[in-house]
Amino acid sequence: MQIFKKPNFKFMKYKYIAFSMSGILILIGIINITSGKGLNPGIDFAGGSLIRIVFRDPTPISQIRQSLAEVGLGKSRIQEVEKTEREYIIRSFSITGEEGEELGIEAHEVIGNRVIDALRGTEDKSSLERGLKNLNSIDRTTLTLILEPSFPEQASEIATTIIDFRVAEGIIKDLAELQQATGISQEAVDFLKGQTFLGHLTVLSRETVGPQVGHDLRRKAAQATVWALIGLLIYIGIRFKFAYGVSAIITLAHDVLITLGVFSLTNREINLPVIAAILTIVGYSLNDTIVIFVRVRDNLKIMRRHGFEDILDSSINQTLSRTVITSSTTFLTVFALFLFGGEVINDFAFTLIIGVLVGTYSSIYQSCPLLYFWNKIFKPKKGMGK
Amino acid sequence: MKKKLRWKVILILVVIALAVFLSYPPGEKINFGLDLQGGMHLVLQVITDDAINAETDQAILRLQEQLKKEDIGYETMPKGEIGRFSAQGIDPSQEAKIKEILDDYFRDWDYTIIGNAISLSLKSGVAMQYREQTVRMSQETIRNRIDELGLAEIPIQRQGGYGSDRIIVELPGVENPERVKNLIKTTAFLEWKLVYAGPAPDEETLLKKFEGELPEDKEILKADPNSSEQGYYLVDRVAPITGQDLRNARRSTDQWNNPAVQFMLNPDGAKRFYKFTSDNIGKLLSVVLDNRIYEVATIEGRISDSGIIRGTFTIEQADDLSMVLRAGALPASIRYLEERTIGPSLGADSIRRGLTAITAALILVILFMVFYYRVSGLNAVVALVLNILILMGALAYFKAALTLPGIAGIILTIGMAVDANVLVFERIREELSTGKDIVNSISSGFARAFRTILDANVTTIIAAIFLFQFGTGPIRGFAITLIIGITASMFTAVFVSRVIFDLGSARKKREKLSI
Repeated sequence: MQIFKKPNFKFMKYKYIAFSMSGILILIGIINITSGKGLNPGIDFAGGSLIRIVFRDPTPISQIRQSLAEVGLGKSRIQEVEKTEREYIIRSFSITGEEGEELGIEAHEVIGNRVIDALRGTEDKSSLERGLKNLNSIDRTTLTLILEPSFPEQASEIATTIIDFRVAEGIIKDLAELQQATGISQEAVDFLKGQTFLGHLTVLSRETVGPQVGHDLRRKAAQATVWALIGLLIYIGIRFKFAYGVSAIITLAHDVLITLGVFSLTNREINLPVIAAILTIVGYSLNDTIVIFVRVRDNLKIMRRHGFEDILDSSINQTLSRTVITSSTTFLTVFALFLFGGEVINDFAFTLIIGVLVGTYSSIYQSCPLLYFWNKIFKPKKGMGK
Repeated sequence: MKKKLRWKVILILVVIALAVFLSYPPGEKINFGLDLQGGMHLVLQVITDDAINAETDQAILRLQEQLKKEDIGYETMPKGEIGRFSAQGIDPSQEAKIKEILDDYFRDWDYTIIGNAISLSLKSGVAMQYREQTVRMSQETIRNRIDELGLAEIPIQRQGGYGSDRIIVELPGVENPERVKNLIKTTAFLEWKLVYAGPAPDEETLLKKFEGELPEDKEILKADPNSSEQGYYLVDRVAPITGQDLRNARRSTDQWNNPAVQFMLNPDGAKRFYKFTSDNIGKLLSVVLDNRIYEVATIEGRISDSGIIRGTFTIEQADDLSMVLRAGALPASIRYLEERTIGPSLGADSIRRGLTAITAALILVILFMVFYYRVSGLNAVVALVLNILILMGALAYFKAALTLPGIAGIILTIGMAVDANVLVFERIREELSTGKDIVNSISSGFARAFRTILDANVTTIIAAIFLFQFGTGPIRGFAITLIIGITASMFTAVFVSRVIFDLGSARKKREKLSI
């Protein structure tokens, strides 16, 4: 099968349209970043605390908001995981200013603890006060210890079964279900009924980042991006010509700016994985660009009689099948990641999707027109070939 | 079959065997990152100022001693900014003598004498050394404590190189994160000190006997809220015996069967403790942990090499205290800068989802390639599967952790690895369309595509290397899988695919190439 038999599109004809379209997109992004919603830094960069919990019973988001508002944490951001009504990600607002710097991570910790306490509710607290153990947060060793007196032989076995069940399910909803799934004895269940209770929620993960680290990570992310760009400029400069390096780098900047613009418009949080994804886009988009540039380099030798614009057009056309196919396979995989990868990796996958689309477009409509303009403005004496 | 081709096939089989051998079974051989197996990632900062302050305190005591010995008077000796102190109200006529003392005994300090005041500051090189040493010792102590927890072979890394005050601890599969955090953070500096007054409800009452003035060699300490003691005590500033003299510590019980900590001293410590207790029978002795009083008891007899620390401990607390005492005290306090705890459920969930995403991506790409390139597409599929095998083998060999972003890296590799195949196939098609025969088209297709593949992949690898350089944990996992995957794709898509094509052509004269 072949999508394009002998493609002969006049890509360069639309260079001005493409430039203005990109310009408008970038401008919208920049305006939104600087004077609109801005960029939304996640806890990696802004510091703060991110807690992921699962409730024993379905709990509507409004109830969580209310519980948090009651203890003065109404500003927390609550995100439901996949419409489960049970699993939520809660980001407590970061503490900024002098006090924040001074208190650092301890303050975030305290707030995180307050969030968890508020959501646990009074029922759990009174059970704990009556000396019962929370089966939804107890660790293996402690559970074994309390089982030991009544079940000297099987204590650790029962404990392991129960904890494994909890790990697989996230939270134990009720003891009957536990018994059915694991087959632990009726005596053990009766014992657990007397000694333990099923806590209202389980903390699945908890991340706390202090302000200093956020500051460091910001610096490192910027450094990595800048150094990567410099490294690439040098490599392309050596393998091709300086002009190609400059066009490629401007194209990459274009991709990064548009991606950031999309993040600002969709108000998604920017965390470390997103930066990683942006750097990956840089690599990917460049990959695409280089393939076309290699063709241009070759065609400059073959098509000596043709104008530079023609050469660019045929280079794009000759590599068009490859560009489309590779973009498709990459897009398919990234899309699979977006669909099935789960909440944790979702922003990362989203960035890659944007990146693959923008990167493919830009390697055709940015890098080549940029070469064209370089040739037109600077009129290099030795031509554009190497 | 040509001889050269046979060797190539053997090489490929060896690579497959090696990759499988290294990575099978993946559950055991592949090292899962904390985000997949659950665990804690902690970044802590050693407050190295503590060490400088301690050194300054020592220097103040030494200078006081020296001045006393030489009979030089002074009024006060206050501490200044970090690593600085001064002596005020010195007789200026004694300047020469003072200079002699400072030159002889305070070589680590810069000093200036102006009028009747001397100001001293710790030399910056020396201060750097102290800080460095403090971080190293803390790292060592934390390692000991983690070992005590029974988690061997946990890397306790320094973040950054010389001069950095940050330590990274990564603990897999922690069930009780709060306990571990406290265990690492406790300074655990144990001292035994004689008590002169107390308990008193506040400092003023305590000092009434001394007309409100704190005696020079004494200090006021507060009872720990977790102990059975209360209020404030006046104790010796310097302790005759400290945690450094310990040989061992373990949980035991006191005479009322409550959990307690039994300690054993090393021979030198035991000798000193014996003499000290003999000299002070009937007096009150306090057990001080991190500047808080834990227990006050009358010295009833001579104690030599072992004894008991009581408090209101739970079994767990007694365990933890003996554990940190065995591991040794931290030379400075530490604080947490970053902590990420991933529960085992979430990790297992991420693995499940990651596998689903990989499978989906693989199926989609395979369908696409076979649909578009027919039989040659199968060739690319073989290369792709081999690529993933090599990736797994390399991950196992380098003991690199597979993280969730790492799984994303594998998925992205699946998409991008076929790029090399696509470049080759498209070139072959072009060559075929110019009327060349199949064998020639294949060979020039590969030759021409190779330079493109090289240039395009090197650029991606450059970006990934910088990602690795600045990233931590999960991000590094992503960069590594991407680097390995792309490098492997050069082998699989260029070398292996070529061999498969050649095998096809060698068997029979081909009339048609399914591409």
